[in-house]
Amino acid sequence: MNGRLAIPTSDTPQPANRGARGDRAPASGLRLTPMIDAAVASPAVRSVNLCKVIDDRPILRDLTFELPAACYVGLLGANGAGKTTLLRLLSTLTTPTRGDLEIFGRSVRGHGPAIRAGIGLIGHQPMLYRDLSALENLVFFGRLHDLSEPTVRAMDLLEFVGLADRAHDAVKTFSRGMVQRVSIARSLLHEPRLLLADEPFAGLDAPSARTVERLLEELNGRGMAVILANHDVRQSLRLAQRVLVLRRGRLALDAPAASLSADEALEEIEKR
Amino acid sequence: MTRAVRHIAMLTLKDLRIEARGRQTVGLVAVLAVLIVVVLGIGLSPGRGADGLSATAILWVAYLFGGVLVFERTMEVERHDDALAGLLLAPVDRGAIFAAKLLANLLLMFAIAVIVTPVAVLFFHFDLSAAPGGFAAVMLVSMVGYAAIGTLFAALTSSTRLAGGLLAMLVFPVALPLVLASTRLLHGVFEQGEALGGAGLAVLIAFDLIFLVVSWLVFEMVLEA
Repeated sequence: MNGRLAIPTSDTPQPANRGARGDRAPASGLRLTPMIDAAVASPAVRSVNLCKVIDDRPILRDLTFELPAACYVGLLGANGAGKTTLLRLLSTLTTPTRGDLEIFGRSVRGHGPAIRAGIGLIGHQPMLYRDLSALENLVFFGRLHDLSEPTVRAMDLLEFVGLADRAHDAVKTFSRGMVQRVSIARSLLHEPRLLLADEPFAGLDAPSARTVERLLEELNGRGMAVILANHDVRQSLRLAQRVLVLRRGRLALDAPAASLSADEALEEIEKR
Repeated sequence: MTRAVRHIAMLTLKDLRIEARGRQTVGLVAVLAVLIVVVLGIGLSPGRGADGLSATAILWVAYLFGGVLVFERTMEVERHDDALAGLLLAPVDRGAIFAAKLLANLLLMFAIAVIVTPVAVLFFHFDLSAAPGGFAAVMLVSMVGYAAIGTLFAALTSSTRLAGGLLAMLVFPVALPLVLASTRLLHGVFEQGEALGGAGLAVLIAFDLIFLVVSWLVFEMVLEA
C-alpha cells in the first residue's frame, strides 16, 4: 500500500464527471498517525479498577487492563455488557466514577482536550451533518481541530477512503457504507494515535464491511492503536491481535486472539 | 481573533449554512407564527386591528412558540447522526458550543420576527406606532434571555423521546419572569405613554445575564450527561 486505499466498492456510484478530481496525485505522503516506536511509547490505554455508574446502576466494574501502543484489540460482549460505555470513557465523552484511566500516559481526569487530540472515534452513528457535503463536513471538523490546511487534508482523506469524486455531494445522498467511510475520514483528520471503533460494520453490506475492515487494518499497520467493539466474534478474532470480553460490566477475559476459537469466545460472552 | 471567537463563528455559520440548505426552520416557524398572530388577533379584537399592548402580547406569544421550534430544530441537527459527539470530540470549549448555538438561535428568531412583525402590522393592523423603537428594544433584549433558556433546555430534552412537548413545558415556566417583566414594561410604554426607562430595561438585562450565566455554566454538564 502506498498511502491510500483505492478499493472499488459496490456502494460507490460512478458519477458522470468521475475522474475530474481523480487526477490528483495519489496521497502517498498522507499522514494518518504520528510515527511512534511502539516499543518505547506509553501504553495506549491503562485502566486500573475502572468503574462507571449511571443512574445508580454499575455499568463497568473494576476493569484493570493495559493495551500497548499500535495494538489491535477486539472488544467483545453481549448487549449491555458495557462496550459502548467503555469506548465513551476512552474517548473522554464521559468520565469514570471511580478508578484510573490513562490514555498514552495521561489521566483522563483533567486532560480531556489533550487526550481528545489523539483519539479518533467511529461510532454507531457517523457523527456528520447530513445536509453538508462530505468535504464541508471534513473541513468543518478539521478547522475545529485547528488544522493548518483543512481542505487539502480533507481531500486527501476522501481520496484515502475512495470518495474524492463525491466530495461535494451532501452526505444525505450517500449509502450507509459511504457514510461510514466519510466517518472514518472524519476520525482521521487530526492524525489520532488511538482509533476507537464502535460496531463500525453495523448495517453495512459485505463489500462495504470488507472495505472498512481493510481501512482499519491499514491504519493499524501504520502504527495506530485500534480498539474495535463488535458483535461478530469470528470477525473480531480474525482482525484483532487481542480480545477483551466484557460480561455484565466486568472484564471476563483478556487473551491473544490467536489463542481463542470463536466457540470459546462465545462461551465466555454467554457465561452466567 | 481568539480561538474561542473563531470556534463560535465557525459553529454559528455551520448552523446557518445548514438552515440555508434546508430552509425548514425559518419557513415553518414563520408560517406558524403568522397563524398564531391571525388566530389571536381575530380572537381578541374581532373586526379591527390590535392596539399596541394587545399587539405586543400576541407577538410575544408567536415568538415564544416560534422560539421553541427554533431551539428544537437547531439541536436536532446536532443529535441527528450523533453529530454532537463529533463536536464534543474536537478540542472545542463547551462554552463556545453554547455561545454558537445561542447565537444561531437568536439570529433565526430575529429572522422570524423580521418576517412576522411587518406582516402583523401591514395585514392585521397591529398598531405599534406609539413606540416602535421601544417595542423592538424590549423584544430584542427579552429574546436574548429566552434564547439562553431555550438553548439550554433544548440540549437537555433533545435526547429524550418527549423532546417537543417537554421543551415547551420546561421553557415557558422558566421564561415567565422575563415575559412578565417585558409585558409590564410594554404596558407602561403603550398604555401609559411612559418613555422606555432605564430601570425597566435594566431588570430585563439582569434576567438576561442570570439566564446567560446559568445556562453557560450548566450547558457542559447537560451535553456530557
